[in-house]
Amino acid sequence: MAKPLSECTVALITTAGVARTDDVPFDQERERQDPWWGDPTYRTIPLGTTESDVMLYHMHIDTRFGQEDLDVVLPMRRLSELASVGVIGRPADTHYSIMGYQLRPQVLETETAPAIAREMKARGVDAAALVPA
Amino acid sequence: MIPEFTRAVGVPRLAGIAYPMSRPMGRPGDARGQREVLRALLDLLISGRAPDTYVELPYSWPETPAQARKGADVHPPIAQLLARKPWLLPKLYAGG
Repeated sequence: MAKPLSECTVALITTAGVARTDDVPFDQERERQDPWWGDPTYRTIPLGTTESDVMLYHMHIDTRFGQEDLDVVLPMRRLSELASVGVIGRPADTHYSIMGYQLRPQVLETETAPAIAREMKARGVDAAALVPA
Repeated sequence: MIPEFTRAVGVPRLAGIAYPMSRPMGRPGDARGQREVLRALLDLLISGRAPDTYVELPYSWPETPAQARKGADVHPPIAQLLARKPWLLPKLYAGG
């Protein structure tokens, strides 16, 4: 780490297929047509988004829990609390969501992950925590 | 969680936790427990100085696996396909 955690801007990434209800859903229909395929795209989740603003589109996990309490899969409120007591500098303004079922991860590796990394860098993120669901 | 999978893709630091799938940070509504897990995860940013650092977080789930699965309504399309065509299973292991 180039600087203390207490000075870092921290972003979170969930693999639970979370998307805001006003955003494009993860593509469940194509996966139903081709079960070997999983949607390799990503969604941005602004800080302050809650469970009432999102849907979980991952068909391989029990989505009831994240739908009841988003912090179970994307702990943005907990991250803000840790910022308020000085553990981290501040939570990033934007967090990220992918859908973790990726048997063929080429697009995720070569397009999605680099795009997320570029976006984080542009937004001044110092550290990221991936939360696999 | 399945730390072996995550470790295999080469993440620089990995915290394993013996929680059921779908609830990596803990139970809904358990802010204190979720905060402890997140704090432990972030601590790894400081303590994990070498590549492939792996720690197991010292938390246990308060239910049996059967209790944790109760009421689950999860039907992945790939599982339905393989139930119909089990001879395709080797293709799954080969990465689709």
